[in-house]
Amino acid sequence: MFPSNVTAATQVGLAAEAPIVEARRLGKRYPGVIALDDVSLSLRAGEIHALLGENGAGKSTLIGLLSGLSNPDSGELLVDNKTRNFTSPRQAQDLGISTIYQEQTLAPHLTVIENVYFGRELKRGPFLDERAMRRRVESLCEEFGLSKTDLDLPTGSLGALKQHVVQILKALAFDARVVILDEPTSGLEDSERQMLFDHMRRMRERGVALLWVTHRLDELFGLADVITVLRDSRWVAHVAPTDQTPDSLVRLMVGRSRNLAESSTVHDGREGLSDTEQAEVLKLTEVTRLPLLRDISLTVRQGEILGIAGIAGAGRTELARVILGADRTDSGEVFVRGRRVLIRNPRQATKLGISLVPEERKTQAILGSMSIAQNISISSLDDVSTGTIVLNNRKEKNAANRFVTELRIRCSGVTQKIGTLSGGNQQKVIIARALFNKPSLLIFDEPTQGIDVAAKTEIYRLIYDFVDKGGAAIVISSELPELVNLSDRIVVMREGRLVGELTGQRRNTTGGTDNELAEKIMAMVAGVTEQSRVAEETP
Amino acid sequence: MSVRTRLTQTLAIDGLPVAAALALAVVFFSLASPFFLTQENISNLLTQSLFVIILAAGMTFVLIVGGFDLSVGAATGLSAATTMLVLMNGGALPLGILAGIATGMAFGIINGFFIAVMEINAFIVTLATLSIGAGALQVLTTGTQLTGVSLPAFAWLTKGSILGIPTGVVITLVIVAALEWVLLFTTFGRTIFAVGTNPRAAFLAGTPVRRLTFSVYLLSGTIAGLAGVLLASHLNSVQPGLGQGYELSAIAAAVLGGVSLAGGRGSVWRAVIGALFLATMAQGLQLIGVDPLWFSIVTGASIVIAVAFDRAVQQWVIKQLAAATTKRQIFDDSDASASVSADAPTTSATRSSVRNTK
Amino acid sequence: MIAITAPSQRFSRLLANPSAGAILLLVILIVAMSVAFPNFFTGINAGNVSNQMVFVLLLALGMTVVLITGGIDLSVGSVMGLSAGIGAYTITSGAPLVVGLLTTMAVGAFLGLINGIMITKLGLPDFIATLAMLGVARGALFLWTGGVPIIGYMLPEYYVISGLSQPFGFITVPILIAIVAVVVVAVVLKFTSYGRHAYGLGSSPHAAVLSGVPVARIKVIAYMISGLMAGVAGMIMAGRNTTVAPTMGLGYEVAAIAAAIIGGAALGGGRGSAFGAVIGALVLSITANAINIAGVSSSWQQVVTGGVLLLAVVFDRVSSLIRARSARLATRLAHA
Repeated sequence: MFPSNVTAATQVGLAAEAPIVEARRLGKRYPGVIALDDVSLSLRAGEIHALLGENGAGKSTLIGLLSGLSNPDSGELLVDNKTRNFTSPRQAQDLGISTIYQEQTLAPHLTVIENVYFGRELKRGPFLDERAMRRRVESLCEEFGLSKTDLDLPTGSLGALKQHVVQILKALAFDARVVILDEPTSGLEDSERQMLFDHMRRMRERGVALLWVTHRLDELFGLADVITVLRDSRWVAHVAPTDQTPDSLVRLMVGRSRNLAESSTVHDGREGLSDTEQAEVLKLTEVTRLPLLRDISLTVRQGEILGIAGIAGAGRTELARVILGADRTDSGEVFVRGRRVLIRNPRQATKLGISLVPEERKTQAILGSMSIAQNISISSLDDVSTGTIVLNNRKEKNAANRFVTELRIRCSGVTQKIGTLSGGNQQKVIIARALFNKPSLLIFDEPTQGIDVAAKTEIYRLIYDFVDKGGAAIVISSELPELVNLSDRIVVMREGRLVGELTGQRRNTTGGTDNELAEKIMAMVAGVTEQSRVAEETP
Repeated sequence: MSVRTRLTQTLAIDGLPVAAALALAVVFFSLASPFFLTQENISNLLTQSLFVIILAAGMTFVLIVGGFDLSVGAATGLSAATTMLVLMNGGALPLGILAGIATGMAFGIINGFFIAVMEINAFIVTLATLSIGAGALQVLTTGTQLTGVSLPAFAWLTKGSILGIPTGVVITLVIVAALEWVLLFTTFGRTIFAVGTNPRAAFLAGTPVRRLTFSVYLLSGTIAGLAGVLLASHLNSVQPGLGQGYELSAIAAAVLGGVSLAGGRGSVWRAVIGALFLATMAQGLQLIGVDPLWFSIVTGASIVIAVAFDRAVQQWVIKQLAAATTKRQIFDDSDASASVSADAPTTSATRSSVRNTK
Repeated sequence: MIAITAPSQRFSRLLANPSAGAILLLVILIVAMSVAFPNFFTGINAGNVSNQMVFVLLLALGMTVVLITGGIDLSVGSVMGLSAGIGAYTITSGAPLVVGLLTTMAVGAFLGLINGIMITKLGLPDFIATLAMLGVARGALFLWTGGVPIIGYMLPEYYVISGLSQPFGFITVPILIAIVAVVVVAVVLKFTSYGRHAYGLGSSPHAAVLSGVPVARIKVIAYMISGLMAGVAGMIMAGRNTTVAPTMGLGYEVAAIAAAIIGGAALGGGRGSAFGAVIGALVLSITANAINIAGVSSSWQQVVTGGVLLLAVVFDRVSSLIRARSARLATRLAHA
């Protein structure tokens, strides 16, 4: 047991010197969401500090604050024991804090050397000092596995690992003392991963402080010096890897969530499901769309909720898009109610009875400046018009009013603009839009993203209602407790492949608890292999 | 509520600023010149502005869907030329009209294909078709005089009158009313708004985005063809360079009327008011002795002012919306927290102690 | 597998280097012209082509810089006319030639500055801002001249500067000016931090912001370069035509954009070079020359320019689609 205070780091006893960066009780709120609550952290020279947590645990927000992308609402950030307020990433960089983001932040048309010095070129008189820049990059590159021929290629043509290395070089070329790596191993092959770890060790030897965000628990051991775990936007634990196993870390990450209790009450109220074989609604056989979907085979039956687990970037949303026809498959077959189909676009999917409730409501779902009624009817205009041409306002209003009542959408009226509703009510409108199509399969992509707890429960109820009335649902979610409680079956995706299938809590008769299941999934998601689990359990 | 807030709120009502500006311009010019409010001047003003009004109505569709059409002026000019060409070579009037409209449609089809199907930047595509159209007009008009059609029915299209109203005005009214009806009361119009508001959301919701975009350019081209036929009837002669700059006026009219360049906002009548405002300025300035050549400057400048103004107002609206949303969500949260209050202590307890699993 | 994909990869690599495709096009064009018209490959005709291409080349150079930063400038034709008009006027009102020429260039750069300010400070979309400038500058020229061409500024030296008199054979002063402009733009793009920032900004605005590049300043300077180039082109054209008609430069933006895109600049930004602009301008000028030699009415010129622009963007689009697809499918090889 560790004492319950934020200076636990010193107890770990790995580094005695003063931290370069110290975050003290940082907090960040967005409208309606607490993204980070009271989180503290210290980064020390020559130390690899791992940051763990599920999606939405607050890791990205914390990185944003440390790298100068945003400002904290509470708490303070100290660099070399001085309080700092960053107004731009540049300021953080000038203080020696460089961040290697998960998404592409290099200019793809510029070469490696050009990217390394982009924004801070070395000059001789009015001209660029290409030779000095080349010399400096060359002195670093071979150590980090870049050949001299790579240096003159546009970074857009390099692989994922090399692009990471370019970002590392960019940090090192400016003598960064703190390097933040946001899931650097995602998209890397195993061998590349090992090389990246070597690079990280090399940076550590140079006395750099590293903050390493990762999902893959098996990677941590032997590399990380200190581990901080976040959960539900809060700081949970500060531990040394030597005291931990992958399973114990999973337990820290998943914890006991309040959502769990919430959703189980809904669950209890449901009627049980008959065990008779239900009709197949959707079947995929070996569906592939490069680069993120490889040989996906699955079936969804009537009255069933299929959960899809995996980290962001594992190919879950891509799978939903392919089913909806928003992207074409490269190969593989799709069957809807037993008939082989080629879905070319979402319109066709809609006609086949497949609808999507997309992730990222604001950019992919709502028509912000349009009314609730208009948002509900947009997928089913044929039903609210005369002869599919002339709109029938009365039909539209009636239908919208029906959904507002049924789904308990809180609004001043169906003419209210959807943009002025709260997140939960916006999501209900989008579900109403999908239901209006009378679909036989509904795909929910992160259905409770950015929604308050009470509204979440209502969304779960809507999903159950839909399935109980004979629909089939696919639920994609990063919130494991949610997924465990909602689903009949859960498939786990990693790097574009299905890596496992489990029975969900909704029909679980084996008596396993929610947490065990969640931990099992988390282990699969994170790529903890069976062998490593067995190896741990045997002693 | 402060005066400033109230003022901004009023300005945020789409179409109101330009309607007020139109009224002000009318009042100003009637005071400045005794000739402004004469019947002759007004009918003159309307006839002059017909073409821009029609084009602005078509442009409204393109802008609402989030696109852009620079080729309408050239399409108008070329359509006028083909109409004249058919009529001069003894073609029947319906054939002439058809030729004009078909020319416009050809522009629409080409633009639509490259923009909707090939997904190439609308500005560049329509800039290229503008160049091709204007060049084709040049080719058609060098060496041949396109003038002197003596069909009375052709002249009647713009110069005749129905119930004392010039035919051109009646036709324009019909076109404008029909387009406004399509925009506001049909499924087609509704989907245009949806696609313009959020193309990704509209696509995922099952809207045929590609087909719709194509149709909108086809519509804009067809409208330009119609405008060309009327223009030919009005002038009874076609010169090289005819229609040049109409695209600028049409865009200016639409933008002045509060049609958003970002898509998703606008209406035909507001664009028409924008066009009327521009026409009033042109006519009025001329009446009080300002060089009519100022017009092109006024048009260009009004685009800049209207867009900058719209941007400022929209930013204000968004800020207000955000403020309202935050309040509402806090309210929701307090609702929600009542139901989870039992859990709250446990979670905070979790935070304050390091949970070790050993 | 590899044997099958190798040619398509090579093909996409060829497309990825746009100047290679453009050079190929240019070579085909030249060969076809020499076969079709024996008098194409003569010194006199070469001189004609080079003297004609100066305008498009200068405008395309400026346009290339703007395109590299991810913008576009529709106003170059009008800016060219207005700056020439003002320059000519200062000479007719008694200013020395040098002052007149400098005024022409300064007006061009100033109008570019206004474009840049509208885009960065007022937040107008680049197309709209420069489209408005197209209208306003053209309108101002018409208004100010009253539709009557400006004359009486042709001092003797102006004949030399505009290339009307050719003391050194077909290597005229405008060609020298163009060469200097090409070299300067090439140096700025390749060897200064401004050029580096321009490419990076167009390639990824996000990366530019994260790297602390002064985005607004880079954009404003790009529009100023484009305006300056339009001014220089206007200065030469005023001398070449010996009058400044209010329609001077009308439609030249189409040729400039076409030349820049043929030369490998892309609408998305991040690509393009001064050398590419030369190739693009050459392609356009030789096409124009072909129309001329073939005895086709020069009225077709505008149609052809528009057609070439359309072809260029279609080619650009298709090649980028091929590239994106092969990049996506290449992951199969990497993972196999």
